[in-house]
Amino acid sequence: MLQVENLTKRYGATTAVRDVSFTVARGEVVGFLGPNGAGKTTTMRILTGSLGASEGRALVDGLDVFEKPREVKRKIGYLPEVPPLYSSMVIRDYVAYAATLKGVADPMGAADRSLSKVGLHDVGHRIIDHLSKGYRQRVGLAQALVHDPEVLILDEPTSGLDPAQRVEIRELLKTLASEDRTIILSTHVLAEVEALAQRVIIINRGQVVAQRSLAELGSDTDAVSLTVASAPEDAAAILGAVEGVVGVEVMSRGRFQVRCEGDRRAALARAAVGWGLLELSTEGGLEMHYLRLTSGDGGAA
Amino acid sequence: MKTILAIANRELRGYFANPVGWVVLCIFLVLSGFFFASLLSFYNLQATEIAMSPYGGPELNIDEYFVAPFFGNLAVVLLFMCPAITMRVFAEDRRSRSLELLLTSPISTAEIVLGKYLGAMGFIGVMLASTAHFPIILYWLADPDPGVLLSSYLSVGLMSGSFVAVGVLTSAFTENQVVALLASFGLLLLFWVISWADAASSSSTMGEVLSYISMLSHLDQLSKGLIHSRDLVYYATFIGLFLFGTHQRVEAYRWR
Repeated sequence: MLQVENLTKRYGATTAVRDVSFTVARGEVVGFLGPNGAGKTTTMRILTGSLGASEGRALVDGLDVFEKPREVKRKIGYLPEVPPLYSSMVIRDYVAYAATLKGVADPMGAADRSLSKVGLHDVGHRIIDHLSKGYRQRVGLAQALVHDPEVLILDEPTSGLDPAQRVEIRELLKTLASEDRTIILSTHVLAEVEALAQRVIIINRGQVVAQRSLAELGSDTDAVSLTVASAPEDAAAILGAVEGVVGVEVMSRGRFQVRCEGDRRAALARAAVGWGLLELSTEGGLEMHYLRLTSGDGGAA
Repeated sequence: MKTILAIANRELRGYFANPVGWVVLCIFLVLSGFFFASLLSFYNLQATEIAMSPYGGPELNIDEYFVAPFFGNLAVVLLFMCPAITMRVFAEDRRSRSLELLLTSPISTAEIVLGKYLGAMGFIGVMLASTAHFPIILYWLADPDPGVLLSSYLSVGLMSGSFVAVGVLTSAFTENQVVALLASFGLLLLFWVISWADAASSSSTMGEVLSYISMLSHLDQLSKGLIHSRDLVYYATFIGLFLFGTHQRVEAYRWR
């Protein structure tokens, strides 16, 4: 559905995106992960046709974004990081306006359908300026959905929201993901990717550093964090001797980070008997990967 | 065409959802009312003096002595008001990021520029329509030539069209509305007075060129009730050039 080939974007002397290539299949939900300034937004803006690439090309459903912008834009719904709202407008009018711009035949009908999809049908008469951030995000989503696009590109849809709003938007995205739509979701909230996406593309310093399905990531080395009240001198060695443990790192006195193959929590707990076990928890494989791939010089994985 | 009108409609509504639109309209009405009243009383004074004079005098013509100076003043008021109308056209959309909606919609840059231009012109239309009571009062008091009134409205409309085209271009260059306002006002003033330089210029060709470029000389012609094709060509070229410049500028957003 989406095909990005050797995309490069330079702003003067700085290179925001360097030689980025990836593909997304129809109906797939892909998490686009990376720290701030990694080039996520730039890549998304190139895909939506609002920014030109310096090199490379992007295809949506086989159509080049730069050669057939109209056709491509009709297939894409885009929610930028800051929703493109006209604050003086009434919600329903705004979404209908977006529908007209996107060439929908019946803008008001499309606006109503889109608003009920994002749960704003009852407040359609309100002025956007008076809305909370969570509601604004929903209006932005309604705008992106109004022409029933095949591809949905969402740039940090939950950033700046409080936890309750975050959960709401996440639930909404889950429903959208189940509708057989191709979705690219950029975020730096790992839990969101784990909850929604089937695959993750990690980008750092303008380059793709990893592309993997979540299932693959989960089966990789897990990290366990272990906190005890009083650890013996040779605690690290004892933990290291547990079957399946790959490495032990002493974070501070009594706190260890253990990398192991598969779930070894039970064995670790047995090894730590008598040390006064305070906490034993797994850290997601994704988080581990993410931190490793995006820290330091971000060497390719 | 449908999208152009949709954009224009949204722009026009935007003016009335914003205090700036109301303030501009209000100032425009107060000033045009002031000029109408003061020019009319001046005309009245002159007419009375001539009537009282034992030597008699020239017959005063309302078209020449009232309508022409009134619309001349209206054009100057618009010269000051237009930058305030156009400053937000692109600047606000860029600052609030709502431009991204237009840029990611399946529409061409020309449609965006034309829609925004027509929206601002719609507001000019509302302003000019709000002066409709002046001709009515004039007909009640005197017997003006409807042709002169119509051509005066046309000339002020065309002139505002040029002011708006300049303002739309400057607004496309910045996210700061004050900068857009000052830049367009400076440019407009320059086009307004550039013919004054022809007195100082040594070559007569240069003088002629400058006077053709100047808006002032074209306003003079039209408000006399004369519609020359050279004036229409001037305004069409002027508006076309500035809208083309805006188009190129908006295209360039994609390549920054």
